[in-house]
Amino acid sequence: MASLITASLIQTRSGSVDGLKASGGWMGKEKAKVVGVKAATTMGGGGGGRGGAKYKGTQMREKKLTKMIEEKVKEAKQVCEGDERSDECKVAWDEVEEVSQAKAHLRLKLLHKQDPLESFCQDNPDTDECLIYED
Amino acid sequence: MAVCSAYTIQSLNSTKTHLGFHQKQVILYTPTKKQSTITCSVSDKTVVIGLAADSGCGKSTFMRRLTSVFGGAAEPPRGGNPDSNTLISDTTTVICLDDYHSLDRTGRKEKGVTALDPKSNDFDLMYVQVKALKEGVAVEKPIYNHVTGLLDPPELIKPPKILVIEGLHPMYDARVRDLLDFSIYLDISNEVKFAWKIQRDMAERGHSLESIKASIEARKPDFDAYIDPQKQYADAVMEVLPTQLIPGDNEGKVLRVKLIMKEGMKYFSPVYLFDEGSTITWIPCGRKLTCSYPGIKFSYGPDTYYSHEVSVLEMDGQFDRLDELIYVESHLSNISTKFYGEVTQQMLKHADFPGSNNGTGLFQTIIGLKIRDLYEQLIASKAATPLQATKA
Repeated sequence: MASLITASLIQTRSGSVDGLKASGGWMGKEKAKVVGVKAATTMGGGGGGRGGAKYKGTQMREKKLTKMIEEKVKEAKQVCEGDERSDECKVAWDEVEEVSQAKAHLRLKLLHKQDPLESFCQDNPDTDECLIYED
Repeated sequence: MAVCSAYTIQSLNSTKTHLGFHQKQVILYTPTKKQSTITCSVSDKTVVIGLAADSGCGKSTFMRRLTSVFGGAAEPPRGGNPDSNTLISDTTTVICLDDYHSLDRTGRKEKGVTALDPKSNDFDLMYVQVKALKEGVAVEKPIYNHVTGLLDPPELIKPPKILVIEGLHPMYDARVRDLLDFSIYLDISNEVKFAWKIQRDMAERGHSLESIKASIEARKPDFDAYIDPQKQYADAVMEVLPTQLIPGDNEGKVLRVKLIMKEGMKYFSPVYLFDEGSTITWIPCGRKLTCSYPGIKFSYGPDTYYSHEVSVLEMDGQFDRLDELIYVESHLSNISTKFYGEVTQQMLKHADFPGSNNGTGLFQTIIGLKIRDLYEQLIASKAATPLQATKA
């Protein structure tokens, strides 16, 4: 994808070629091996500088979602021990999917430096949620 | 799109220019020496597009490409609930159908229903509000908060030029279906779904291969019962499958993408290769074009899908270079571009989006252009009927 990327028509958010280098399609990151490795990659590639939460409120949301994923996976495993086909089991895994999706969306936004609290915090800079979080 | 007529009326006692939304009219109050006002009537109807996808709302790549074709980036509404799922650009508003959940997370747990189950969704409200927006009336739409799992206070949605309703059930209810001017179903095969979810979730502490697999399996019965059958109603189905170019490939890196397009629609003419209605297999790589492994393979032909006539365009493989993309674009017909290379330009504009080097990005972009074309045709046909001039 390198030559595709250097074409002059492209504009990138980060402005860096690095960000695009590994973004060749869905599985752009060669190092995203499936088995046994917690890939440190995120959807959509992006090599230069991982996006992080800008505001305290977003950082808290991130942490909350991470914790919820862990808890709900545990819960689903427990609930499904009895009967895999039960409604409770279906609902438990559906919740896991819901929070996993929410976390992934947040991660993607942050990768593109779009903190969801951006416009709220511009209007309400003094709230606790809007403390700027320095990494 | 607006048609404006100028009227002379009493000037208002004001030093500011006001822009008000009142149903179908945009009313501009400006104190001028001439004491005149321009009253514009926006088009009677909003064009409504339905997108069925299981990847959450408004942030999906398809949506981003679609809104980009119409110009501008879609942003969450300013100053509102930061957990709003809605996206708004100059021309387009994207609504997440999760906002029509009748049961919040606790409610669903109590009743033992997943979000996929129609029982957890208020189709009456969905119908009433989509209909209202289509007719140019603003609505107070609920917000489903995916972080808290609760239903938040509603947000005001004004009727846009193009309304996209995205989610699990855009075509489930027959009344809502009838409101759609165009509908798309994103059909991801199980192997690809698994590979994508691994890519998405493996970085999370709580997840493992087993949990990702278990989640997909547990949701499958409801998915097959309630979501999958919507395919038959879609005007275009985008099927994403593993490649056939690499024997035994299961990593989901190289994709085979099929665009199944309904025939006989008034404002939508299916994309074709070389000769409409014939059957073609095309490998562009050869003497004029050099591709790297595994190359690119296209096929095109007529077919039947759920007992209606369709045309199917399929791409297997990956683009590796700009000239491959241009070459392919120049051989496709009915792609509704406004200039040569527009598809390529759109793809390059979002080269960082997933799928930019394969059929998903290509077909999503083309569908976006075809929707633009459909929109323009619809508006042109409505402009042919005289609009009512209204007094302020």
